Amino acid sequence: MLVAGCDVGSLTAKAVILSDGKILSQAVRRANSRPEESAKEIMDLALADAGLAFSDLAYVIGTGYGRRQISFVNEVVSEIVCHGKAAQWLNPSVRMVIDVGGQDAKAILVDENGSVVRYVYNDKCASGTGRFLEIMAEALEVPLGELGEQATISQNPVSISNQCTVFAETEVVSLLNNGKAIPDIASGLMRAMAHRIAALAKSIGLEPEIAMSGGVAKNQGMFSALEEVLGLKIMRLEGDPQINGALGAALLAEEAMRKTVS
Amino acid sequence: MRKEYREYHFDRMVQSIIHFASLAYDGTPKEAFGMFRYAPRFREAIETILKTGEPGVLLLKMIDKYLIEVLTAHERGKKIALCTFNFSPGVLKPLDVVPICLEPVTTLGVMMWLRGLGEYLNYCCEIGFTETSCSAQRGALGAYLAGLGVKPDFVLCNSIGVCDTNATAFNFAAEYLDLPFYQLNAPPLLTDERSQKYHRQDFRGLISFAEEQTGKKLDVDLLREVIIETDKQDMIMCEIEDLMRLVPSPVPGIFNVFMYSAKYIYGGSKEATDVMASMLEVAKRNASEGRAGTTSGKEDARAFAVYVDHYSAQLRPWSWLDSKNISHLGCMMNGFWPVHAPYAEENLKEGTYIMDSTNEDTMIDSLADQMSRMPMVKQIRGPYDDPHQWLSDTMASIRTYKPDFCMYTGTIGCRNTWGAIKILARDTEKMGIPTLIIFGDAFDHRITSWESMRDKIDEFLTVRGILK
Amino acid sequence: MLNEFSEVAKTLSNRFIQQWKDDGKQVVGFMCSYVPEEIICAAGLLPFRMRGIGASSTSIADTYFGPVICSFPKCILQLAGEGKYDFLDGIILIPGCDSIRRIDECWRKAAEESHGKFPPFHLYYGVPHKLTDYSLEWFVAETRKLVESLERHFGRKITPEDLTHAIKIYNQGRILLTRLDELRAGENVPISGADATAVIISAGVMPRDAYNRLLEELLQKLSRSTNGMTGKKRLLLAGSIIDDIDLVRLIEASGGIVVADTLCFGSRSYVDLVEEDGDPLVAIARRYLSHKLCPRMFGSYKERLEFMKQRVRQARVDAVILQNIRFCDMHGSENSLYERDLEAMGIPCLKIEREYGPLVEEGRIKMRVDAFMESLNT
Repeated sequence: MLVAGCDVGSLTAKAVILSDGKILSQAVRRANSRPEESAKEIMDLALADAGLAFSDLAYVIGTGYGRRQISFVNEVVSEIVCHGKAAQWLNPSVRMVIDVGGQDAKAILVDENGSVVRYVYNDKCASGTGRFLEIMAEALEVPLGELGEQATISQNPVSISNQCTVFAETEVVSLLNNGKAIPDIASGLMRAMAHRIAALAKSIGLEPEIAMSGGVAKNQGMFSALEEVLGLKIMRLEGDPQINGALGAALLAEEAMRKTVS
Repeated sequence: MRKEYREYHFDRMVQSIIHFASLAYDGTPKEAFGMFRYAPRFREAIETILKTGEPGVLLLKMIDKYLIEVLTAHERGKKIALCTFNFSPGVLKPLDVVPICLEPVTTLGVMMWLRGLGEYLNYCCEIGFTETSCSAQRGALGAYLAGLGVKPDFVLCNSIGVCDTNATAFNFAAEYLDLPFYQLNAPPLLTDERSQKYHRQDFRGLISFAEEQTGKKLDVDLLREVIIETDKQDMIMCEIEDLMRLVPSPVPGIFNVFMYSAKYIYGGSKEATDVMASMLEVAKRNASEGRAGTTSGKEDARAFAVYVDHYSAQLRPWSWLDSKNISHLGCMMNGFWPVHAPYAEENLKEGTYIMDSTNEDTMIDSLADQMSRMPMVKQIRGPYDDPHQWLSDTMASIRTYKPDFCMYTGTIGCRNTWGAIKILARDTEKMGIPTLIIFGDAFDHRITSWESMRDKIDEFLTVRGILK
Repeated sequence: MLNEFSEVAKTLSNRFIQQWKDDGKQVVGFMCSYVPEEIICAAGLLPFRMRGIGASSTSIADTYFGPVICSFPKCILQLAGEGKYDFLDGIILIPGCDSIRRIDECWRKAAEESHGKFPPFHLYYGVPHKLTDYSLEWFVAETRKLVESLERHFGRKITPEDLTHAIKIYNQGRILLTRLDELRAGENVPISGADATAVIISAGVMPRDAYNRLLEELLQKLSRSTNGMTGKKRLLLAGSIIDDIDLVRLIEASGGIVVADTLCFGSRSYVDLVEEDGDPLVAIARRYLSHKLCPRMFGSYKERLEFMKQRVRQARVDAVILQNIRFCDMHGSENSLYERDLEAMGIPCLKIEREYGPLVEEGRIKMRVDAFMESLNT
């Protein structure tokens, strides 16, 4: 049985194709401003990779910020449920998932079945999200992918306590002008963001084991900064954390099919 | 402020919309709804109100009458006071003062106008408000400060010690327009003898101040009328609230906002009593048929808002909840605390008020007690978990109405509730009530659009298993 | 000697506090200038004006507080959560403003969840927002309750003599600070605004008798000083709390000199005295409730404007910097009224919104002050 999950976020689109509980193919690429188009493109990529056609899929679930605009899926599900599902599937002992995506950050408490118990979103502000890191990487003129690495080599992280993305950007510019080293600023930024995310998670109560998913989880500097701020180990999940939303959607698609069959 | 906005009289605009909407229903429904095609900007809100039938029509007529009173006050030789919403207007009738109920007028504007009150909100910032100050005042106040509405003669504020950003707005208005200012001040405690005495003396100070401004004495006969009428309408309100305890609740969700609008705009008047009585009729009829107050007659979930409602979307929050078969059981704005209120449980009785018409003193004390227990004045004056404060009142409402979930929306100006909501939500969650905190602004849709808020609520209802 | 003050002002737990604790005595913190230090002092305790300096994030505070709250109480809660206020034996919280007053419940919840870092004594002390005979009566009763709570918890009776003694010490400190202002008002300014800020801040965070002695010495030195600063644009600093010397230094780096203020950590804390005769407790209550220089006392803007004008005249101020911490609507909105009224008198004003905390916005603030100073000089 072939099923798929398609996650259209604010910055990237992701797709996962599952064949009887195994990942057959996965894809990630930048989303454009039209969710329907992004969804189609990303599905085509994943299908091509697996050598399949759309008609081979028994069930497709859409999720993410743009989910309501995807017309070809059988069902749409909130990404909160998907991230909870995927993390718990990857490691059954997970009780809290911290998902940091392009536009928002969430902390999700799940039970032993992967069902959501409680969750919380960040406030509207973009600090504490992937977009924050993107803007800061631009200000530092460092490729986004290298920002985390830069942070890990910092000897003397600067303190950045500005809560506002716009103000933080001007702060970064003046730090550069004052001759601060890029790794130290990058590390300061990671910490500032980790503090924001930690406050979010703590506001609903930390519950080990904690896993991180979403694109920002790929950032090593961010990962360690968050561990340091929380004072707890964060579990490393197998595979690419950025596709967990799509993976969760695909897992739910499989469950839905199983229900119809039985 | 854009030039074209400066060409219209704000109060006149609000009044004419309400006026024609209230007349519309005097024809046949077909005529009425046919006419709305020509008023695309106001249509959605007005339709939502008029769909409730007689209560909605009476409410619009009541608001219309109130706005005409404001517009004609000066020609009739009456003084106008710029007032906070939580200022029982019945108090001013025996003093021969007409109130501009600032936040309710802002609410009318943001509810009715497709584009909200952005221009007026911004105007306040242009002349000196911080952009973080509460939108509830900044809306209509922008028009008054720009000289586009009636001109108030003095300012009366009932939020000092309750809400700084609100008090600041009134303080600023008084300075900016150079008007006399009187503040009622709430100490952190409510029911102890010392604080009760404080409130009653403070309220007598208000009477003297108003008498000084108008040159007229308090009319004791009118005062008695107000006291009796207030008691009567409170009894009806409490009966409606009592019906809300039924599962399904026979009370249409929008009746809650009707109730507090009637109290804020015209409390203590015959018109407000009529609106309440008409709502009670509808609720009783539904109850006798075992129907929910929703349009479908079904109830799939019950909601309670721990602070305010969301006003800046042509009443869409109410119609959306209704379309989902969710009974909206009110919010903190409904917490007036008359002695008969169903949520006024036995151990909370000292937080209530009674209307005692025995003599002038008892009547003045009754109004003072009522004023010190107005929504917000009562609940957010002190530590959130003190007796008779936010937590205790929220818990009482939850026990009374048994909602399946709670919501918080406020304004970005609200330091007081944003300062404690995360803690309050933990408590309600611990009680087993899923609680959603939404970042938005009740009077400014530019902060978060209703569509985005709606998606968050929808997601919450699904993810937390409230709607199956 | 200035070093001594700046050392005290720059560290949270300074050497005087450490000495006090080593002597086996106790410290009670408070967060708003409407808390009568005299009463804490009369109980044999050290009143400590709480600050948020050195907080480098607000992650603990944000767990409890919501998003649109002033960063001052957030930084304080952060420091407490990090254990940096472990020298406190008690805390008195009040409805100074809405951001400050909600630290009460956030503090208590944080204390429940991190045992040992928070002091055992916690009191919420109500202060009305207006002065009338009945509000004073209410406040006197509230102040009696404060006295009783301190007596009960710390096991020491507060006698009228203790109060009278404390009143004398605090009044003396206030008079000395007024003398400092007089020196700053002269043509030759013997002390920079940044240093003066350090001196003023120290008043709230060390034993007052020791402070008075130190300040008296300093005043003698300054009054003999001949190498004061002249020819600089003279500035007055107004608005939300500033307890960050570096912020004042940053402002002065653009070429001006701060010669006066109407700040809470500044002149507002010492311009009015407690009456020294009559019932000392009533006299204390009257002094604090009559104090209308904070915008929390609604309806008294005109009195505050009068105070501002008086300080402008007295210190021969050329321009006023009106600043507010983000989300402080009271100072923010009132600053606009000052701007309107002062500029009408021909006094240029600069209005800025800022965050509380380490100088994270250095570039942004510097740019604005630079431009303002340039406009004054042309």
